[in-house]
Amino acid sequence: MIELIEKIEGEAKLDFSFKDELIDYVKIEFLTARGIEKILQNRPALDALVINPRVCGICGHAHLIATTKALENCYDSIEISQKAQITRELTLNFELIQNHFKWFYLVMTPFFGMPQDPKKAVYASSLMAKAIAILAGQYPHNSYSIVGGVTSSFTNGDLIKVTHLIDECLLFFKQNLVDVDFEEFWICDSIEHIFEKQGDLVDILLKIIYHNLTDMGKSYDRFIAFGENSYFKRGKSKKTVVSEKLKIEHVQEEFISDSYAKNVYYKNKSYEVGPLARAMINKIPLIKDSHRKYGDSIFSRILARVCETAQLLHHSKQLINIIDIREPNYIKPKIDIKNLSGNGIAYVEAARGSLIHGVELQNGIIKDYSIITPTQWNLGCGSRENMGIAQNAMVGLKNTQEAKMVFKSFDVCSVCTTH
Amino acid sequence: MKTKILWLSGISCYGNVHSFLTYPHIDIFLNDFEFIYHPILDSTYTLLEITQNTKECDILLLDGAVADDFQRADKNIKSIIHRYSKTVKKIITVGTCATFGGIFQYASYKNPAGLHFLGENLQDEFLHLRAKTISISGCPIQPEILINTLYSIKQHFDIPLDSYLRPKEYFAYTIHNGCVRNEYFEYKVDNHRFGELEGCLYYDHGCQAPYTSGSCNKILWNEVNSKTRSGSPCFGCTESTFPKTNLFETKKNMGVPQYLPLGVPKRAYLSIAGVTKAFKIDRLNKKMM
Amino acid sequence: MPQKRLTKKEQIMNAALELFALKGFYTTTIPDIANSLKMSVGNMYNYFKSKDILAKEIIKYISVYLGEKLKEINEQDISTKEKTKKIVIMYFDIAKSRPEMIDYFLRVYLSNREVFKDGCEGMACVSEFVTEIMIFFEEGVQKGELKDQDFFSAFGLFMGYLGGMVFLNGEKILPNKLDFYVEDIADNIYNALKK
Repeated sequence: MIELIEKIEGEAKLDFSFKDELIDYVKIEFLTARGIEKILQNRPALDALVINPRVCGICGHAHLIATTKALENCYDSIEISQKAQITRELTLNFELIQNHFKWFYLVMTPFFGMPQDPKKAVYASSLMAKAIAILAGQYPHNSYSIVGGVTSSFTNGDLIKVTHLIDECLLFFKQNLVDVDFEEFWICDSIEHIFEKQGDLVDILLKIIYHNLTDMGKSYDRFIAFGENSYFKRGKSKKTVVSEKLKIEHVQEEFISDSYAKNVYYKNKSYEVGPLARAMINKIPLIKDSHRKYGDSIFSRILARVCETAQLLHHSKQLINIIDIREPNYIKPKIDIKNLSGNGIAYVEAARGSLIHGVELQNGIIKDYSIITPTQWNLGCGSRENMGIAQNAMVGLKNTQEAKMVFKSFDVCSVCTTH
Repeated sequence: MKTKILWLSGISCYGNVHSFLTYPHIDIFLNDFEFIYHPILDSTYTLLEITQNTKECDILLLDGAVADDFQRADKNIKSIIHRYSKTVKKIITVGTCATFGGIFQYASYKNPAGLHFLGENLQDEFLHLRAKTISISGCPIQPEILINTLYSIKQHFDIPLDSYLRPKEYFAYTIHNGCVRNEYFEYKVDNHRFGELEGCLYYDHGCQAPYTSGSCNKILWNEVNSKTRSGSPCFGCTESTFPKTNLFETKKNMGVPQYLPLGVPKRAYLSIAGVTKAFKIDRLNKKMM
Repeated sequence: MPQKRLTKKEQIMNAALELFALKGFYTTTIPDIANSLKMSVGNMYNYFKSKDILAKEIIKYISVYLGEKLKEINEQDISTKEKTKKIVIMYFDIAKSRPEMIDYFLRVYLSNREVFKDGCEGMACVSEFVTEIMIFFEEGVQKGELKDQDFFSAFGLFMGYLGGMVFLNGEKILPNKLDFYVEDIADNIYNALKK
């Protein structure tokens, strides 16, 4: 039984097989691909900074940062000021946050009997879009991060405004999602504590418990994250066992028939990426408690994404405090990229999980470009014997409506998946 | 009575959708307009319903490029457009891909193009729809331009258009109008470096603002800023030529920029440049702070 | 060809040019110029308030004159190589027919910068001429016929070369007439600048 899933930055087709009235296998097909990797071939290196954000309208900034880093990694050595690095991390945080707000209020709430709330979604996400614009010129689709640093030169006044926008977001979080003081939330290690509070997140979590859905959406309990920065750690986690070593050689893409998406495996296994994965690898106390009780179900997945929103907001404020405004924004690379030949790989944590970019340059021209997106990890379409993360998560569900909720709890981006 | 609008995506990145969602008064907008379909917001119909049948609709918004073999919900996008175009009062091409082909004219499909233009060239297939089309180019669009245009249509305002069907109210300006780096442009101070408050990006760093149409430095982005104000060059994303190559560099022929400010004759530009180059304005050659 | 009717200002400037070439810039006085035109000095001052102002107006006048001739060549639909030759011919023709103009440029404008420093900073007073040279170079590069390089490197080569030849001619050092050298000079310039 084939269902078209829409409003996921595009569409996908889910082909359900039932056995004994329960879902026993779902084939996932992504239907369109634009071929951005081909569009990049033979273009000058820096043009990728303009083309790649157009992989996606909601996570294009992650693609910009990944592109910048991949190009910089083509150099044997290149100096980027700490100020530029922090700025890039800030604007990327803001993109993750705006994404999560939209996902919660536009995608998830309708599954729990609460109507979609465009006003809340737009209010909160546009505060973050504004914060990005102050540092990067505009959102969506800026190219302010370039090889060597950033093009902008914000002032202390700009940072004050950005801080206020973050504060407004934190206030929104408290007034709408979970009415808890942030300091309390930050160190909280018990979800029972959250149940005592008010808020839209709490309502959803309680509904999951009340309707006995706490087993829904469980998959392999395997998590991975590649993008390391001042907040996220690189590593993988099998249940709660975290290991930090990851090697790019073990990452492999695989073509699948009937879909424009490619599967991706680490050492031949599927791994979940995204906020739950990041929280497990970071060992966030609240998520560990949720995982202890409810495993890698939708409960933990939803909680982790909302929790990450607050934590990134808080962490961003701390990052702003350590910026030394006097540092240079941009340091001209000693070798002009137009004369550079080499390879570079970069990893960033985008809203939905790890994003990997790889580039090969020859005399400053892009010979080859490769992108692996987070949705490829989560929504891989494997065979019955070797199912992907989301496929596995949908097995055992009673109907397609439940499956859709589990599917969308992964926060799907169709355009990214196929790019 | 809400005006019924259909947001139909062709070969797109959804950048226009998310730019639209930065508009702060969306809830007010949704009091006046009903999306019979939208890629994220709740809509009257599902994608299947909107593509299988032709639902009642006042304005068709086409976002993304179109191609012979591109489908939405298994229906050829051009056939969907043909069907709706018969009954809608207006068609708006949202973004540069839908208007000129943009980045996705290079996508892996058969003959991707904008609705009426591929680059500069007028396309035949939808020629009969030109009279009811308004183009809002941009990669992405500024949400105010789309929303204001929708209200102008709803309220039957006169909307003068340029030769690419873009509303002159927004596209008669150049991106250069309102840039805070204007003095460096005016006095031809060409020592810009990335990451600095000072300097004009037109001379060396590829800024296309002086010959690109749009209101980025008038309406501002996200109500606060713009690329050029913050130090990035304008990449000319509202024009038929987007994307060019070597976007961070200014093509010059023996020191003269290849592309001159819109409508300014070469001799005029060079004479003015020659005069201003003779003088060195100390204030503009120093750091501001 | 009948001379275009000159304005009074132009008559004064032409008379001044001839006297500067004959007697030198500093030894020529306003009364000298007035006398040569049978004008009163008071009347002269109506047109040019001082010799310095006259000096600046003259250089602008020459720039416009040369600029217009260059523009005629620039606007022709011929190759850059042919334009180069036409520019050389035009320049040498002026050296022959209006030697006082080239003389003024070399001996007065270039050699007495203090006269021109206020109001003729940099290339402000030769902008019509310089603009046409810029257009000649810019179009040559755009058409792929000339090498893209710094404007001043190319400008120095072209103008320095021509100015030098005219100077030598003025000093009566050249064994042949200027016309004799046109082909080789045009070739040398084009070969140095071409892509």
